[in-house]
This record gives sequence, structure tokens and C-alpha cells, in this order.
Amino acid sequence: MIYRTLLKMWRRRRLARDLETELAFHKEMAAAANNPIPFGNAAVIKEHAFDLWRFNAAENLWRDMVYSLRTLRQSPGFVLTALLSLGLGIGVNTAMFSLAVEFLLSDPSVRDAKTVVYVRQGGNSHVLPATLDDLRRSGLFADVAGENDEGFINFDNGLATQRAFATQATKNFFSVLDVPVRLGRGWTENDPDEVAVLSAHFWRTRLAGDPAILGKAIRLDGRAYTVLGVLPENYRSLVGYGFSPDILVPTYIEGSILRAYARLKPGMTVGQLNAGLPALTQRLLGDFPDRYEANQRLNAAPVSVMQQLTTERDAMTIGLFFVILLVVAGLILLVACTNVAGLLLARASVRRQEIATRLALGASRMRLLQQLLMESLLVSLAGAALGFVLALGAAKAMAAVSLPLPFPVRLHLETNWRIVSYAALLAVFSALSSGLMPALVSLKESLSKGMRRERKLRMRRVLVAAQIAVSFVVLTTAALFLQNLLRTNSMSAGFDVNHTIHAEAFLPPHAYPDGKTINPYIDRALDGLRAIPGIEAAAASATNPFNDARRYGVTLAFDGTGAKQKAQFNWNAVTPGFFHAMQIPLLRGRAFVARDNGGSKVVIVNDEFVRRYLGGREPLGAAFSWTTDKTPYRIVGVVKGTKCMTMGEDARPQLYEPMGQVNLDRPRIQFVARSVTPPAAQLKAVQETLRRAEPVAGLEVQTMFSAIGFAFLPSQVGAILMGSMGALGLLLVVMGLYGLLAYSVARRKREIGIRMAIGASSWHVSAIVVKEFGRMMLAGLAIGLAISLLVTRPLSLFLVPGLSSSDPASFVAAMLVLGLTAALALAGPLRRALKVAPMECLRCE
Amino acid sequence: MAKSSVPTLLQGTLDLLILHSVSRGPLHGYAIAQTIHLLSDQVLKVEEGSLYPALYRLELDGCLSAAWGVSENNRKAKYYEITKRGRKLIAEQQETWERLSTAVDLVLAREPR
Repeated sequence: MIYRTLLKMWRRRRLARDLETELAFHKEMAAAANNPIPFGNAAVIKEHAFDLWRFNAAENLWRDMVYSLRTLRQSPGFVLTALLSLGLGIGVNTAMFSLAVEFLLSDPSVRDAKTVVYVRQGGNSHVLPATLDDLRRSGLFADVAGENDEGFINFDNGLATQRAFATQATKNFFSVLDVPVRLGRGWTENDPDEVAVLSAHFWRTRLAGDPAILGKAIRLDGRAYTVLGVLPENYRSLVGYGFSPDILVPTYIEGSILRAYARLKPGMTVGQLNAGLPALTQRLLGDFPDRYEANQRLNAAPVSVMQQLTTERDAMTIGLFFVILLVVAGLILLVACTNVAGLLLARASVRRQEIATRLALGASRMRLLQQLLMESLLVSLAGAALGFVLALGAAKAMAAVSLPLPFPVRLHLETNWRIVSYAALLAVFSALSSGLMPALVSLKESLSKGMRRERKLRMRRVLVAAQIAVSFVVLTTAALFLQNLLRTNSMSAGFDVNHTIHAEAFLPPHAYPDGKTINPYIDRALDGLRAIPGIEAAAASATNPFNDARRYGVTLAFDGTGAKQKAQFNWNAVTPGFFHAMQIPLLRGRAFVARDNGGSKVVIVNDEFVRRYLGGREPLGAAFSWTTDKTPYRIVGVVKGTKCMTMGEDARPQLYEPMGQVNLDRPRIQFVARSVTPPAAQLKAVQETLRRAEPVAGLEVQTMFSAIGFAFLPSQVGAILMGSMGALGLLLVVMGLYGLLAYSVARRKREIGIRMAIGASSWHVSAIVVKEFGRMMLAGLAIGLAISLLVTRPLSLFLVPGLSSSDPASFVAAMLVLGLTAALALAGPLRRALKVAPMECLRCE
Repeated sequence: MAKSSVPTLLQGTLDLLILHSVSRGPLHGYAIAQTIHLLSDQVLKVEEGSLYPALYRLELDGCLSAAWGVSENNRKAKYYEITKRGRKLIAEQQETWERLSTAVDLVLAREPR
């Protein structure tokens, strides 16, 4: 059908020529035969023939467009309001969509991401280098590469040493995964160890985008590394979520644990692979009993985010968040469309005469409908264009915001065909949803004069109620997320964040390969810190809550009873003064002491660990093994839990080991210093002290409060996104309600005039108007409340414990805000109506 | 006016007449009009205003196929040829027409009660 239409369009010229030739021939023949057949109107014949070929439809479309443009130019107020409404509505939708696309639909930068899987052992994120080799030799994969993204490296630019985020990767990383490189190349097995591939951001900001960087040497951790390549600007790491390291280097810390990424054999699916992995686990367990455990099965997960959405729980939660985001944005667009519908309805009554005349002159209803819709389509398209520009601006702004994260995140919000077609789709949707109803109403009412008034008033009431209902849903969502932020801010992290300083030291790994060298450094640094006036306590730890965490998923085997218990906990190694410096309350037993240095292994666990895994047993003195060497660990103390990654998280089991008994495998040390004077004033002294303890170490010193900013991030992001959408929704609803109410009051001007003429007080008149509006408001609120209770239910996943998704305070707040807004929107039109002089009103009729 | 003596064609009959006149071989537009005129003993006159739109419609419907050719006086002319579908349509419409004309005859032959 479309093909035929196109063919016809194309053949139009030829058809016209043919017809002309044919008619000329006919005329000639008739003349030659001296035939008396009268010759008709050639133009009419052509018109008739063309009609058959449906050219008129296309021409009418064009004519409608020109006509609509002309009428729209005559009402700039309408156009401006409608454009603004739709522009904001479509803009926010496009922006949220591009955010969702970046997070959910963008695969990591590897060739054919669908054939790459992330292989884990049990619940552990990283595996031993030896395990990686076992996997490669197993023959189950095409090849296996590994990388560790938690590294850092000290970059010396000749003037100062700065910390840089480094990803260590195996020598086959580039060949197995085919990571794209913009300049130069990735390394291969034949390259030496001291080579590096830089991120575009690092190259631009720290090396001034040196075009001749390839082959040059840069100093990393005191050694010269040759730059082999620069990654593309839109490089997406395998870890995902916008995480972008500064530098990629071949594995430089001996024995670093690695995330294992495997390339599937051609034709194999993730499902088939996972079916084969238990057997491989068994085989490896037989061959290397020291590296594998029966209950730590190997498992593979896809790296393409689309595939993860169906299998991985974390990805699903994030996916759900974006779905909610898009739904709320969609509701805002709905409010915007209702605004435009209201405006069109008002316009339609102005154009009643015109439409009635055209109908009387024989215009078909389809033609008029087409013409009326053309108007809203034009407005919507212009609105979409405006919205697209707004969204681009918003995306730029979002990408420029540096998030308070302990690791580098860069979003690459791109304008691609997906986003353009989404905006176009929204334009068509808003054209139909805002234009169809008013157009149909105005056609119908022009036909049946008797029904006119009643129908239009009812339509307007429906619009007001719908607008209130929809914006109520948007507002409750926003209120819930704001409430969530408030609760998060007032929540306790489980340790003192107001009187403590956090410092992080990055030691050069070859100078500090293990605990034998690291522990003396820690003692030296802590002695220095304690000597600072005003510092009351200082301690060191392997990880700092919120900034990074190490989670273990293992089996605890209890001594004596032999009971086995699967457990997942956050691990940390701390020096003896840690619990005091952090003000983490010791519930039972004792804190670590200097004696705990590896003789017999001891641990301190938190209350949640006891509740979940000890099963009512006496915790103090209980011993269990959890490492592969089956050494027993004895619990000597129980502390209160702290938050680990986010403020909103549920209580997690935690396990602490004394720093003296672990052999730290990475030279990244966390310090905490407790100050009796304001901590911000001590930053410099702490920095200098730590610099003296090891001059070449990279240092990050901040107050604890700013160091754990990450903890507030999810609730901040949620509150900012949903809050701004709520504000936007409110703005649109004010615009729409004002327009609708102003119009419906204006329509009743005459009635009000008559009532006042026969003695109604202004109080009485406002009572009538307010009562009518109150009914619509109540209906809208009731519908909105019902919808809200339903749609906010999945939000509970994102809210802190104790905040229900049907939190009454949030609902009441939304109701109050909406009521107040509506009252404001009503006040103006009402005042104008009351000022009407009765005589003037009657005279103008 | 004299127009009243010229019967106007019933809707749909023109198609039948056109198809019938080309059933023996391809003809150009003027020849089709002439054929109908002559075959009806010069009673029916097909005006271009109805003829050409009808031809174009029949071509679009696939009942006729058209091709440019050279006329008897050596001019370029468009020749219309009947298709299989056109022949089927003749058969159908002829039957319809016969029933209609018999019915009309019947009505006119009897006195109204």
C-alpha cells in the first residue's frame, strides 16, 4: 500500500504528461472526423483522474500545514504556552531516556559483548591468578582474561606525585576482549611489563592531550612506563556503571586477585556454559584441593547489561529504578499534554464559528479532523525539538557534574538514533493525546448545537481532575524520595563521622610487597599521628566504610560441633585502637590488642554476624574456620554494626581481623584520626605527618564527613532526579490549572453577572465557583491517591528501612502542596470574575 | 434542450461498455468512445470528462492494461487492452446488467396497481 502510494507520487509528473497527450490526441481525432462531440473542461478531467491516484490527500496535508502555521502565528500566547509545556515534558523524558540508555543499553567496550562472560567463583568477585590459568587450560572457553580495577598508581609528572586510578589486566586482555584503542594499540603477550594504555580523560587532563604521546615514557610508581595507546573517549569499562579508570597497565602487583572475563566458544550460550561449570568445578577441586571448595561453584554471568537485566539481581534493581524514572517522566508529559488539550479546547470554542461554517459548506469531518490534528502535531513537533535541545543541555550538565565518589565515574550521554526516535515518538504521542480529544469534541459540538455547553463543561472538568490525579502521583514520588534523603541524612552511619579525619595512603607496591614491610610503616604513621596536638586517637584499617568494601561468601565450619554455616560478610583488618577511634561500641568481650599478631587467629564480629550465623551459641570463645587452610579463628569480641556501602542498607554481618595477623595484599592503607578540635583544622597536620612517614606515598586526607559522601549518593541522586521532576510537574500543573480555571470562570462571567445583578453577594458567588472546583479537586485527589498507593509500591526497594512506600507524611505533603497550588491557580480567575460589573457583562451579550 | 433525448449512463454501466468495446482487441481512448457511439446506433455519447477518469480507474483496478502505440494516422496514442480480470468483470457486470434491465422492463410493462 505504501509502496503503491510512493509509486504514484513518483509517477505524478508522467501521469500528467500522459493525460495531456492523450487528451490532445482525442481532440485532434475528433476534429479530423469533424465530430460534434463537445470538448469538456480539461482541468476537471485531470482533477478527476488525479483524485483516483490520491494526490489530493498529500496536497491537502500540505495545505493543512500551511493553514495551521498561519493560524498558529495569530495566537502567539497559545503557541508559547503549549511549546513550553511540551518542550519541558518531552525534554525531561528524553533526558531520562538517554540516562537510562547509557546505564542499561550500553555494552562495555569489547568486541561482541554478547560472547563475553564474567566468571565468578562462588560469591567472590575476584579469583586468584592461578584460578585464571586453570580456567584457560580447562578448554571450556575460547580464552580467559583477567583484570583488577581496584588499583591505583602514583603518577609523577615531574613536579608532584598524584594518585591515578589504574586497572591491572593480564597480558592477553586486549587480544581476548578486543578492547578498542583510539590511538596506538593495546599490549600483547610480547610487550614488556612496563607499558600503559591511557584513558582519553587522563591523556587530555594530565598530559595536555600530547599528540606525540605514543612511545613516550611516563613515570608510574617511580618506574618508566611506555605509553602504547589511548582509549576512545566513550570507552566503557567492563565493570560498568560509568566506572572509568585513568590508566590500564599489565598486572604489576604480584598475585593480585582478578576479575575473570572469558570469551565464549563460538556458538556456545551462557546457559550452556553454566550447565558445564559444575563439572569443571568438580574436576578442578580434585586437581587442586587447596584452591577450590565444593560449595564455591564457578558461575558465569553475561557482561552485556541487557542480558544482565534478566539474570542479575543488582542490575534488575537499577533497571527498575529507571523504569520508575521513565514512568514518572511519562506522567509529567501527560500533565503537559493535558495542558495543551485544555488550551486547544478553549481555542476550539473560539473557532466554533469557523468549523460550523466549513461543515455547512460541505467539508468532510475527516478533513476537518485532519486539519485540527495538524495543528497539535505541529505544536508537538516544535515542542519535541525544543525538548530535545533542553535534554541535550541537561545531559551535558549531568555529565559535567563530578559525583562525590571514591572512584572515577564518567557518563557518556550520547545523542544517537535511539534518543532521536524516542523524541519523535513522544511528539506523535503528545500530538494525539493532546489534540484528538479537543478536535473530536469541537467537531461533535458544532454538529449538535443543543449539546454544546454541557459537553464542553464536562470535558473540562475531566481534564482538571485528570491533571490533579496525575500530578499527585508525581508529587508523592518526589515527596517520598525527599523524605528518604532527609531520613538518610539524619541516620547514623554506626561510627563517629563528625570528629574524625580519614586519610588514605597509597604505597608504591614494589617497596611494600607484603605485611612485613607494611606493618612497620603503619606503626610509624600511627605514632606520628598520635603525636599531633589535639589528636586523641588514631588507627589504621584495610578498608574504610562506604569507600570500598570487601565481601566474602564462604562456609564457616565451627570447631567442636562441626556445624557448617554458609555466610556472607564484610571483611576488614584493623589496628587495636580502631573501635575507639571510630567510636564503634564494643558490646561484649575485648577489642584487639597488640598481642594479636598472628599467633592464634582471633576475630571480632558484629551483632548481625552473631544473630545470623551463631544460631544462639555463645559468641565469645567460639571458633570456626573459613579460609582454605582450615585454620580456626576465635571470636574475642562483639561490636555494634556499621553501615558498609549505603546509608539505606540493611544490617550486614561484619568480621574484623587484627591488622597484625593478616598479610595485606595491597598497599592501600586507611587511617582514621579522632580529634578533640574541629577535624577540618587538623587536615594539614595529618597530611604532613603521613608525608613524613613515607614521602612517595600518594595521599588523600579529608574529614570523615566528606570522605563518606558516597554513602549519601543513592538517596541524593534519587532526591535530585525525582525532586526536580516533581518541581517540573508542579510548574506544569500550575500553568495548566490556571489556564483551565481562568477559562471556565470566564465562560460563566455572564451567569455571575446576572447572579450579582439580582443580589448575590460576592461570598455567595465565590462559594459556587469554589464548590464546583472543590468537587473536581476531590475527584482528582481520590483517583491520584488510589493510583499512588499502587505505583509507589515498588519504590520501597529504594527507600531506607523504616520509610514505607505509603508514608503518610509524604502523601499529606503532596496533598497540601497540590491543594495550595490549586488554590493559587484559582485565586486569580476568581478575583477577576468578582470584579465584573454586572451591567457591563449583560451589555456585552 | 436536446440533452434530454440523450440517455445518461447509469453508474457502473460505462465500465461495462468500455470493457466490452476493447474485448476484441486494444483500442485508444477516442476509438473506445467512437465504438460505443457507433455500436449504440449513435445514441450514447461518452464525454471525455467521464471516459478518461473511467479508463484510469479501470487501469488502476487492473481491469485494463495500457501501452503507448502508434495510431492509424501515425500519431502516438495510448492503447487500452483488456486483462483477465477485466474479462471476469464483464461476465459479472453483464449478468447484473441483464437482471437490472429485465427488472426495469418488467416494471415498465405492468400497470401500477
